[in-house]
Parts: sequence; C-alpha cells; structure tokens
Amino acid sequence: MDLPAGTRNYTYAQDMAIFRTKTHWAMLLALLVILFTAPLYWGNHWLSVANLIGITIIAATGLNILTGYCGQLSIGHAGFIAVGAYTSAVLTNRLELPFIVGLLAAGIIAGLIGLIFGTPSVRVKGFYLAISTIAAQFILIWVINHWTSVTGGFRGISVPPASIGGMIFVSQSSQFYLILVITVLVVFLAKNLARTRVGRAFVAIRDNDLAAEVMGINLFRYKLLAFFIGCFLAGIAGSLLAHWIGFLNAENFSIMDSILYIGIIIIGGLGTTTGPIFGVIFIRMLQQGITFIAPVLESTFALPAGFTTGIGPMVFGLAIVLFLILEPRGLAHRWQLFKASYRLWPFSY
Amino acid sequence: MNWKKLLKMAGIVSLALMITIIPLLSAGCAGTEEKTLKAGFSICYTGVAAEKGRPMGNAKLDCMKYINEELGGVAGYQIEVIWRDNQYDAAKAATIINELIAADCLMFTTNSSKMMASSMEIANRAEFPGFAVFSSPVCTHPPQHIYAQMPDYGDDWAAFAKYYLENIWQGEGRPKMALHLLNNPTGYGAQDAALVLADELGIDIVAIDEHTATTTNEIESLTRIKGLNPDILYISSTPQPTSIIVKNAVELGMYPGITIGCGHASLTSVLIELAGADTEGVYGVYPTVNWGDDVPAMAKMTEYCQEYHPEDYGNMDYVTSWAEGLIVAEILRLAIENVGIDNLTPQAIEEYGFQKLDNFDVGGLHGPVTYTSGDNRLSKSVRVFQILDGEITPITGWVEAPLIPYEFE
Repeated sequence: MDLPAGTRNYTYAQDMAIFRTKTHWAMLLALLVILFTAPLYWGNHWLSVANLIGITIIAATGLNILTGYCGQLSIGHAGFIAVGAYTSAVLTNRLELPFIVGLLAAGIIAGLIGLIFGTPSVRVKGFYLAISTIAAQFILIWVINHWTSVTGGFRGISVPPASIGGMIFVSQSSQFYLILVITVLVVFLAKNLARTRVGRAFVAIRDNDLAAEVMGINLFRYKLLAFFIGCFLAGIAGSLLAHWIGFLNAENFSIMDSILYIGIIIIGGLGTTTGPIFGVIFIRMLQQGITFIAPVLESTFALPAGFTTGIGPMVFGLAIVLFLILEPRGLAHRWQLFKASYRLWPFSY
Repeated sequence: MNWKKLLKMAGIVSLALMITIIPLLSAGCAGTEEKTLKAGFSICYTGVAAEKGRPMGNAKLDCMKYINEELGGVAGYQIEVIWRDNQYDAAKAATIINELIAADCLMFTTNSSKMMASSMEIANRAEFPGFAVFSSPVCTHPPQHIYAQMPDYGDDWAAFAKYYLENIWQGEGRPKMALHLLNNPTGYGAQDAALVLADELGIDIVAIDEHTATTTNEIESLTRIKGLNPDILYISSTPQPTSIIVKNAVELGMYPGITIGCGHASLTSVLIELAGADTEGVYGVYPTVNWGDDVPAMAKMTEYCQEYHPEDYGNMDYVTSWAEGLIVAEILRLAIENVGIDNLTPQAIEEYGFQKLDNFDVGGLHGPVTYTSGDNRLSKSVRVFQILDGEITPITGWVEAPLIPYEFE
C-alpha cells in the first residue's frame, strides 16, 4: 500500500491493513457517519437514487471480480441479475419464505447458473466467451418469460417488501440501510478477496492463463469460482432490486443493461475495488443529471415541449467516448493519481 | 495546525457539505407562497418506445400549457408540472416515482403499462394515485391506487373479437386466430383476455407468437403461423414492430387473404408511415376519436398541435394524451371542489378526484370517463377502425368494454 512519506510498516499486520493511518480511519468513519445519517437529510428521491446506486455497485462488483480480476468477459450479467431477482420473488411471493432465505437463495441459484454458463470458459476466451455469455442472457430471459406458472411470464410478478425478523423495509430510508449494509459488506469482501490466494490466482489467469497454469493454478477451478462469485453477487443485487421495485418483468433485464454494466466497470476501472463504485456513481448520477436538467432547460429558455429530450442520449454517448479516449484506465486510476499527488503535496514531482 | 491537516479537515468538511447540499438543492427554494397543484408525469420521451412516448409527452405538456395559460389553471390555481423522461427503463421509472412522491405531487401519470408496472408497487405502498394512459390488465387487477385512462389491451382484444364474429366472419365453425404479441404487458395483456374469453366467444387460438420492440424481421414466425392457416392475425404491439409484421405478412402472401387486427398501441399514423400501402384494410381498436372529428376539444388541440408540434398532427397518441391532460385537470378540479385547496393530499385526490369522476366527456376525445367501484378503468369504451385509403377510419361507434374477470395472483 502507498503510504504518506514518513509512515512505515513495522509488522505484517500493519502491512496488510486496509486502513493504515489515522487519516484513513477518520475518512472511513466520516464516510460511514455521513452514509448512515443520510436518511435524516436526504429526501425520498435521493434515497431511491442511492438505493439504485447501492444495488448497481453490488452487481458491478460481481462483474468486476469476473471480468476485471479474472479476465472472463461476461455480457450476460443482467441475465444473472434476473435469475436472482426472480428466485427471490418466487420464494418470498409464491412460497412465502422469509426475505433472508430469498436473498441467499438468489445468490446461490444465480451462482450455480453462472457455473453452467461459465463452463465454456475452460475452452474459450475473449470474444468467443463473450458470445457464449450473450447466449446466457437470451436463454435466461427466454426461460423467465415462458415459465409462466412460476415467474408470471410476460405479465410479471409482484414482490413483497423485504423483511427481517418483523422489521419490514418498505420506506426508501429503511431500504437504504438494508442495501447500504449489504453493499459495504460486498465491497469489503471484494477488497479482501483480491488480496487472497484466490484473488491473486484470478489476476494471474487474467494476465496470462498459460503461465498461471504452468505455475500450478487450476484454471478450471478458478475460472468457475470467478463465475460463481460474480454471479452470486449478481443474484444478491437482483434480489435487492426485486424487493426495491416491487414488481418484476423480464424486460427490466435487457442486454442493454448487460452492456451498461460492462461500461460501468470500464469507466470505473477494471480490476480495482473502487472502480465499480466510481463507475456506478458516475453513470447513475449522469442519468439523474440529464433527467433533471432537460425540463429545467425547457422552462428556462421557453423551448417547445420535448425539445431537450435528445440531450440524454447525446451526453451519455459523448461522456463514454470521451472517457475511453482521455482516461482509459478508469476513474479508479484518476483517484490513485489524486491520492499520490496528495501524499506528496506540496512537493509533487 | 499545518497545511496538510488543514487540507484534510477542509476535505472532510467539503465532502460532508456536498453530500448534504445535493438534496437541499433538489428541494428548491421556497419562493413565493402562491399555491399550485403539483402533478407528476413520467414520460418515455426517449428509449425504445419513444415513437409513442414523444407525441404523448408533447401532447400532455401542450395541454398543461393550454390549461394554465388559457383557462387560468384549475379553479384559479396553476398546475405545476414535474415531468421526467423515464427512457422506458424500469429502474429509472422507480427513482422517478420516488421523486414525484418526495416532491409532494398530488398525483402522477405515465404512458405505458411497462412503466406503470415498474412504478405501481411503490405508488401503491405510498397510496399515491396515478393512471396509465395505455395499460395492461395487470396494472388494475386487483384494483388499488393505480387507474387506467382507457380500456386495456385485453379489452381491445375482446372488442375486436366480438366485432370480427359479428361483422366479418362468414365461414363455417369457429374461426382460427393467431396472436402476435410484443414481449411485454402490451402484448400479453391481449393474451390474458384471449385465454379467458376465446373459448366462450367461439374462437380457436391456434398460435401465440412473440416479438421484441426492436424486431426487424418476422418472416420466420409468420411462416410458422401461415402453416396453421389462421383466419385472423391479431397483433398487440407498438407501431414499429406492427409495421414489420404487416409488411412480412404481405411478403409471404398471407395478407390480403386473412384479417389483420391490432390493439390500440399499434394503431397510429406511424404504422401507416412505416408500412405504407401494405396496411390497407388492417383493422384496429382505438379508444379515441380520429383527427378532424367534430368534437368540442378538437379545435383547441389541433391549434396547439399545429403551433408547437406539427410533426405530431395526425398521430392518435397525441389525441390520447391531450385527453389525459384534460382528465388530470378534471380530477384536480373535483378534489378542490370537494375538499378545498387547503386539504389536498394524494389520498384526497384519489377519494374526491379519481373516484368522483362521473361521465366526464373529455371534450369528446374518447368515451366518457367514470369511476366504477371495483373497476379502475376510467373510460370503458373503444371504437373499431380500419385503414382505408391510407387513413385510419372509424367503422363503428363507441363499443362498451365490459370488465373481464381476470384472476391474477
């Protein structure tokens, strides 16, 4: 870990610590205090945006483990999110099982389905693997749409609010706490996973799978493990999404969403824990900004109704293109540069 | 305190301030205390359903402009419109409905059944009333706080099926019908009705095929359907996919030869623009009058459309959403009349606005609007149209669409 000048590690524990200095701890505490007190001063709308951001971070973190760390490109992530969402919906609605069972089952079922669709990764990689994961997207959505007796098919299925031990998460603020806690746990898990033997094996496979195999890494096992973890987190995100929206339709999990998730981790920074967080916040806030600014522009400049609606797609496309040209290593890299500059301030190179 | 510590402190304080200020900014300034009536519109202006969402959005905002500027608002109070583009995206729709609730809107509307499906659970839990212009049976069954402006896609199917049996079918035995459905509630709302009523009416459903909103070719599915020799092809979709299906049916020699009918989400001028002469003779069900019909609201609507959105002239979706604007105003007027301006809440709007609607004629643009207990469809009439000489021409008067006894879980 990069540390400010003059800060040295004297024990292995210090060397391994994620939060090493008092400043780190202070920043973490400040962030947690701000987040956990947010419902006191954020309105319903911004809490719902925060909830969507939290759910997306969980899903993007899963994809980042699979694609960013292990190098297995998946363009079927929305399909795995759908599996989690419908698993939770069916268990809590039709079987009236507790939310917590639905949540865990969502992760496990999505993970197991991920194992099935991840099996080709042993034989194929790159674009070829991408195509096989696209197949997962279409097959999963087709099954959901046509397994009407279980999923409700095209009509959709309603999902009861999440509840744990008599506590029902109906309001945006209560859902915010639920989603926040799970998001923090997932990010913490992802950060630590990257530092374990498993995480390092993922990186070795990503960088050169032949060399990794020669070093004794079992490619079959680790690639499938990456698929399981990535899809498990997609399933967890799907479950939270289902209970947050309250009504599911398979159209909510389109291939465009799968592509959006790829865009999110590229913009945020592949193979970093903070990348998905930055990417998700950037994309979701950009969407919110565009949604908010269009009517304001029309009323301010007395434009005809609907005049500004083209702004959204244009700004969104432009932002992604500019990002890929100017900062291809993602926002996480920019954050690293900022931190490095801060550590040396005021004596930067 | 050295500079570095000062910078750290400043950083933390700035971060805290930024996070705190964002929602405060969104709340806006208090401003003057003149009362307004807040109504929220979630519009699919962009995205895959923009071909319908855009003219509908244009119409409802034009109608609000007309009500505020020419009629002086509702009972002397301006309608404050909060509109958002949901991009036909479910997650976006969910954040928008939360925003509208947080902004103290009194009610909301949305265009499509999909967007309503993504908003309705949140709205129902908050007892926040709203209505969908185009809706699927699932939005109003069982009835809660969500209403439908017009008969739903299931009602379209039922109305067309009855018309077909009474006026077109001359063969022996039971006619064979194939359904070609958009893969969402727009399409499958028709299937819901067909499953409940087809047998009772005496129609055999021989095929149920589906397509996507972005389909570019349906030759394969139509070849399959052609092999089953249907008498009717019923399409419940939006104009673009419908145009593809109609053109492909002509290419395959299926049409003319069979009857093609479509639900109200398909039947707009865009369908004729896209499929041209191939649409000649296609039947459709639509719940509004046609452009140029002699009804009280036509002149003002036409004036606004030609002044602000001439590209939408002739588009049936514009008519539908102009009517939507008039219904919003009527709901607000009734609520003010019943409980007074100071007691308006979403709950009061529902009880004393929505549920007091009684034979409101919407300037003649569509069937009268009445709330009936247990039936959250506000208007219950449709008309059958046929495309003749490139024009969408009404061939019946208003046909009542009785409540279909769905049994959704």
